[in-house]
Amino acid sequence: MIRFLTRPFSSRLRAGYRWIDERTGSTELVHKGLYEAVPEKGGWAYTLGSATLVLILLQLFTGIFLLLDYTPSFSQGYDSLKFLQDSDHFGAWVRGMHLWGAYVLILVIGLHMLRTFFSASYKRPRELNWVSGAILFLLVMGLAISGAMLPMDQAAYWTMVVVTNIPHYIPFIGDGIRNLWRGSGDFVGQTSLTRTFAIHIWVLPFLLFSFIAAHLYLLRRHGEFGSWVNYPTESEDPEKELGERIAHAEPPYPTRRVERRWAVPRRTVDFFPNQLFKDTVISVLLIAVIFVFGFVVGAPLSEPANPATLSYVPTPEWFFLPLDQVLVLAPGTYLIFAVAIVVLFVALLCMVLLPFLDRSPERSPLRRPEVLLPGLFLTALLILLTVLGSNRLFNL
Amino acid sequence: MHLLAGTPPLQPIPTSSVGGSVAVGIVAIVHVLIATFITGSSFLICVSEGISIARNDERHERLAHSLLKGVAYVFGFGSALAIFWVLFVLLGMWGTFFIALTRITFWPFIFEAGLFLTEITLLYTLYANWERLRAYRRARFGLSILLAVALWWQMFFIDVVASYMLTPNGGDTNQLAQVLNPTDLPLTIHRTVGNVAWAGAILAAVSAFRYMRAKRRERDVRVDDVPSPRSVGAMAATWFTDADGAVAAHAAAASNVAYFDWAGTWGAVWAIALTMFQPWIGYSYAKEIQLHAYPAWYRMMFGDLSTVFLLQIFLLGVIFLLGALFFWRRMRASGTRGTRTQVLMLAVLVLATILAAMPARFTWTLPDAISAGANRPFWDGGLTNPIGTMVPNKIIALLAMMICGLISVTSLVRAHSRGELRWGDATRRSQWLLVALGVTVSLMMAVMGVIREHSRQPYLISGEMTIQGQTILNAPAGQGQSVSSPSNP
Repeated sequence: MIRFLTRPFSSRLRAGYRWIDERTGSTELVHKGLYEAVPEKGGWAYTLGSATLVLILLQLFTGIFLLLDYTPSFSQGYDSLKFLQDSDHFGAWVRGMHLWGAYVLILVIGLHMLRTFFSASYKRPRELNWVSGAILFLLVMGLAISGAMLPMDQAAYWTMVVVTNIPHYIPFIGDGIRNLWRGSGDFVGQTSLTRTFAIHIWVLPFLLFSFIAAHLYLLRRHGEFGSWVNYPTESEDPEKELGERIAHAEPPYPTRRVERRWAVPRRTVDFFPNQLFKDTVISVLLIAVIFVFGFVVGAPLSEPANPATLSYVPTPEWFFLPLDQVLVLAPGTYLIFAVAIVVLFVALLCMVLLPFLDRSPERSPLRRPEVLLPGLFLTALLILLTVLGSNRLFNL
Repeated sequence: MHLLAGTPPLQPIPTSSVGGSVAVGIVAIVHVLIATFITGSSFLICVSEGISIARNDERHERLAHSLLKGVAYVFGFGSALAIFWVLFVLLGMWGTFFIALTRITFWPFIFEAGLFLTEITLLYTLYANWERLRAYRRARFGLSILLAVALWWQMFFIDVVASYMLTPNGGDTNQLAQVLNPTDLPLTIHRTVGNVAWAGAILAAVSAFRYMRAKRRERDVRVDDVPSPRSVGAMAATWFTDADGAVAAHAAAASNVAYFDWAGTWGAVWAIALTMFQPWIGYSYAKEIQLHAYPAWYRMMFGDLSTVFLLQIFLLGVIFLLGALFFWRRMRASGTRGTRTQVLMLAVLVLATILAAMPARFTWTLPDAISAGANRPFWDGGLTNPIGTMVPNKIIALLAMMICGLISVTSLVRAHSRGELRWGDATRRSQWLLVALGVTVSLMMAVMGVIREHSRQPYLISGEMTIQGQTILNAPAGQGQSVSSPSNP
């Protein structure tokens, strides 16, 4: 011990690190994390995945700070946020960051999914990467909508009324689900808020981080696919070239259980510093945007919830505008069930199970129009519904 | 405000209000068709120019150039018509209305005029320098994008005016209220998508004619045949006196055949692919009209325009049918896989079109059925037909059209991506389907215009200004006139 304490500081630090390393294998872990190969082309597009992770962590941190003030109470929830907004230092800013972080996260995770879709990165053996990613997307949407119900202002209350009523349109079991969520039959009350709060801070985050762990493990196991542009052969003997590529591949390549031509990218670079630099740039930029918007625009807090009001017109968050527009356009209970629940459920199921529906070996989008065109159609329809739905937000 | 007090007496215009309305309607429809074609084509020019740069595709460069030339020619005529439309028709026949409208929507008109100048500059710069700019492809591409952007904004500002006339926010003349009036956004999206579909349909129809001509020429200039002296193609072939010349002529004709076959199919794909979105967007547009201009909506759905609306939904079904029919014929001509899917889609589309075009009552309007005391199902001896109701029957039909259109287009593109489509295989008969597609989409555009403009009747600006008010300036000379606007009654 005395020998340890009399050494120079840097030497002591090294010895301390060695002690930890011997017990945890941290050097090997860091080395493995930093020096894995990634495809050379398209590095900026791959930053969306890491940015998603960074934004989720940001939500976690800002959410913890909000929990220091927020009271999940039907009567005091609004006041606790009012206090946070008006009296707590940086409270309004942190709340603004939580809101804008959610907006940016949804946008980035959507772009990440689109990138994966167009590049066919979900194909064998990465099917479960996609499935876990799609479930993560749904969990983030669940977090977003459950979070929107918590402030107990007019917008939150009426969002809760509308959203918790959607299950009602499901035949046979719908009313049961609604009652389970609301806890008080036809009305939204304290139990509804308590349950929504528990879902928002415990149930969904637990699932979210479990799936993130699975997603990252699978990514490291199979390596980043990149896109089809990374895999063409250059020589006159493609088979020989592919053989050489596989023989000289750096971990995590060659990807196993895939056709030889997709096993190893033509050129790779180390994750550190090449890809990590790009990831950092994008993540820092996004966090800066969230900082600025959180400060300048902040998060709105309208009037306290008033179940008796007749004049309030609820408008949904922008990411639920497509669903809202469908509800506006689909009059009648059975049509809401058919369009908003059955069609939506089938569409989401198709999204989650995409790798099992698209079994062709082709990776280039132009060579798989049977997937690309419906995907483009649905994406365009979602955008159109969002824009059309926004009409109600802007009408004077 | 007595603007005309003390001025020389106005001369009457030799027309009735009905005659004026007809004249305005005809010129308006032609004006709108031209403007929408130009706007939609500018988007297709950008797409083709972009692809030609990215993939060094000569076909796309040729198409972009041809479309640009087409736009320039049509624009020349369209500009003259626009001047005639504003100066003689609107100012002459509906002067009160047009002066009031210009004063209410002054700034949108100013932006419109500025964008008109931008459009002229960009269009003729591209038209006159297309070949010279070949060395600067990216600059040419950039100019094409600027042209498309200018045209889109031009459409946006005229949509502000057109939508304000239907839903004027209770006559609120505030500039922001005009831009944010409830039907502006749906109309703009409806037109943005529709313009490209319409340009695609016209491209398909024109390419079909050119294909048929090229096919005839190819047949006539076959190397081992003596050309028939009766055809234009054969006359061209006689210009070549030796075998090499005949071979070259044949190669050129074959190249044209392949090109126009491809261009026609490309146009049809755009027409059908974008029309797929229109039922949904149009439905949203109608919903906003229902919420904010109920009398107009009632007139469209239950009143004397309901029959015209039925025609419109029938035409929509026919557009999808013609598209699927052409895709099926086209795939069969090349012997590709997937033709059975097209046949299945055709069958579903026939049923969907019948369901969509089913009248909701066997009278012209709902008031007719009510006044006849027969507002009950036909099996109870009434005149109404529940199978023809909008909800859920027509909605199901519209969804079926969208899905079938998607599957049909996907099936064709899939055959192309497999390399199974050989350009030049198309039959001459199949080209008439493209011509019919162009005609049907044109009719659809005209019918939509008629419905939107007539739904406001008797108003020119809903709830604010009537058509009858326009006869003031047609009154005999010497009678006092006054110009009023909603903001200045």
